[in-house]
Amino acid sequence: MLKKILVAFDGSNQSHKAFDFALELARRCAGAEEGPEVTVISVAQPPELSEIVEMDAVIDNATNYYKGLHAELVKKAAEKGIKIETDILVGHPADQLIRCASEKKADMIVMGQRGKSGISGWLMGSVSKRVTTYAPCTVTVVK
Amino acid sequence: MHEVWGIAALWLGLALIATLLSLWFRIATALSEIVVGTVAQLLIGAFFGRSLSAGEPWIVFLSGAGAIVLTFLAGAELDPDVFKVKWKEATVIGVIAFFAPFLGCAALAYYLLGWSSQASWLAGVALSTTSVAVVYAVMLELGLNKTDFGKAVLAACFINDLGTVIALGLIFAPFTIKTVIFIVSTIVVLVFLYYITPRFFKRYGNRPSELEAKFLLLALFGLGSLAIWSESEAVLPAYLVGMVLAGTVGKDHALIRRLRTLTFGLLTPFYFIRAGSYVSVSALFAAPFALFVLFMGKMLTKGIGVYPATKLYKYAQKEAVYTTLLMSTGLTFGSISALFGLNHGIITQAQYSILVAVVIGSAVVPTLIANAFFIPHYLLPERKDEDKK
Repeated sequence: MLKKILVAFDGSNQSHKAFDFALELARRCAGAEEGPEVTVISVAQPPELSEIVEMDAVIDNATNYYKGLHAELVKKAAEKGIKIETDILVGHPADQLIRCASEKKADMIVMGQRGKSGISGWLMGSVSKRVTTYAPCTVTVVK
Repeated sequence: MHEVWGIAALWLGLALIATLLSLWFRIATALSEIVVGTVAQLLIGAFFGRSLSAGEPWIVFLSGAGAIVLTFLAGAELDPDVFKVKWKEATVIGVIAFFAPFLGCAALAYYLLGWSSQASWLAGVALSTTSVAVVYAVMLELGLNKTDFGKAVLAACFINDLGTVIALGLIFAPFTIKTVIFIVSTIVVLVFLYYITPRFFKRYGNRPSELEAKFLLLALFGLGSLAIWSESEAVLPAYLVGMVLAGTVGKDHALIRRLRTLTFGLLTPFYFIRAGSYVSVSALFAAPFALFVLFMGKMLTKGIGVYPATKLYKYAQKEAVYTTLLMSTGLTFGSISALFGLNHGIITQAQYSILVAVVIGSAVVPTLIANAFFIPHYLLPERKDEDKK
């Protein structure tokens, strides 16, 4: 039933939980057949209105950070006998997840809910709310 | 001497607050530092009757060095390979994108607001820039940075900003023998740097003594001094040096990272907080019409300049509008131009305040509109297909 699962990963505890949930889901779906593809997506988000030098610095920094974390996730998945793919995108996390899910024709997006609110939430909007509203597939928000 | 350290501590404290605010609100550090500088000056003036001491020579030096190194790094972001392939389109779009707001905003300032001719030209220069970063972010989000259109527009942004720094460096300088010496010397040094720098770094670089940083600062400060001597602006040679070295030094990620540490950690906070400290809030409230005119002028002229260019490349309607909206004013060159005008007596503090507010507004407002109305619906492939039809 599930062929492609996208996992939104930002390095937080909630995203680790989402990743574990996706792995478990993939393992259970596998059965006798080949399990669903799991792709971990992390998004480097440059600050709004940044200049090119700052933006490049942010992307550079985030890419290095996520590469290290992704290597750990690949290892963890391999221990459970599941092969995963990883990718780092740039932009607003919600928009990039939606775009990626559309392009890859994903069946499900699994993500954590960080519970961030306040002014930044008001200004930028909650990522999970935005994804659940606009995603072209089922969205599972892990709490 | 204790006063110097006290003032330094105060400024770095403000820089720290600005950085935290930029992290919480997810906005650019430069924007946050300008706003913090304005508010801090207002509060310190109101409660202590003092200023932030923005005119202290050492603050002027650190601030100027920040502008120079940041401009160099901005120039070094250019991808020469892209430019070589798309130089014709980039030049056409970049020149239009520069001249439309430059002439339009200068005309509005002169005819509608009654500013002096020099002040009007400066307003045109300050509002002529385009934020390469905002455009690049849009390209990355849409995956267009690898397409011909994306490459052409990105390279065009560099041409646009080059137009701004050339205009800033040459329009207000009296054309004398000093100008000729400055131009000829800069060309000679640029050629020298292009050929010598990669070889010099290869032989002596990558050591803890940071030879590369010293060499680059020598070139930037030397050319900056020559520019000021000829009554031009130091960021002009800095941007050119950055562009010339983009294919070599610009690709050395480790060196660029070290320069960023120096720039963001120490230099640019002094530049942007100082730029913000000169903004008079009362002048802004006193001139809402000037603010409105220049803001709308920037938006309209930018639209007139950029939108047809995007349609020329058969861009879908929403993509064209989105890109046009986000070709915002660059904070760096906008504020550098305005501060240049204030320091050289070309504009008054009230005009400076209006220009900085318009620079910020013309970057903030289109971004908010674009984010609110064009994303994420716009990113959905189905919608994109509909647009193309």
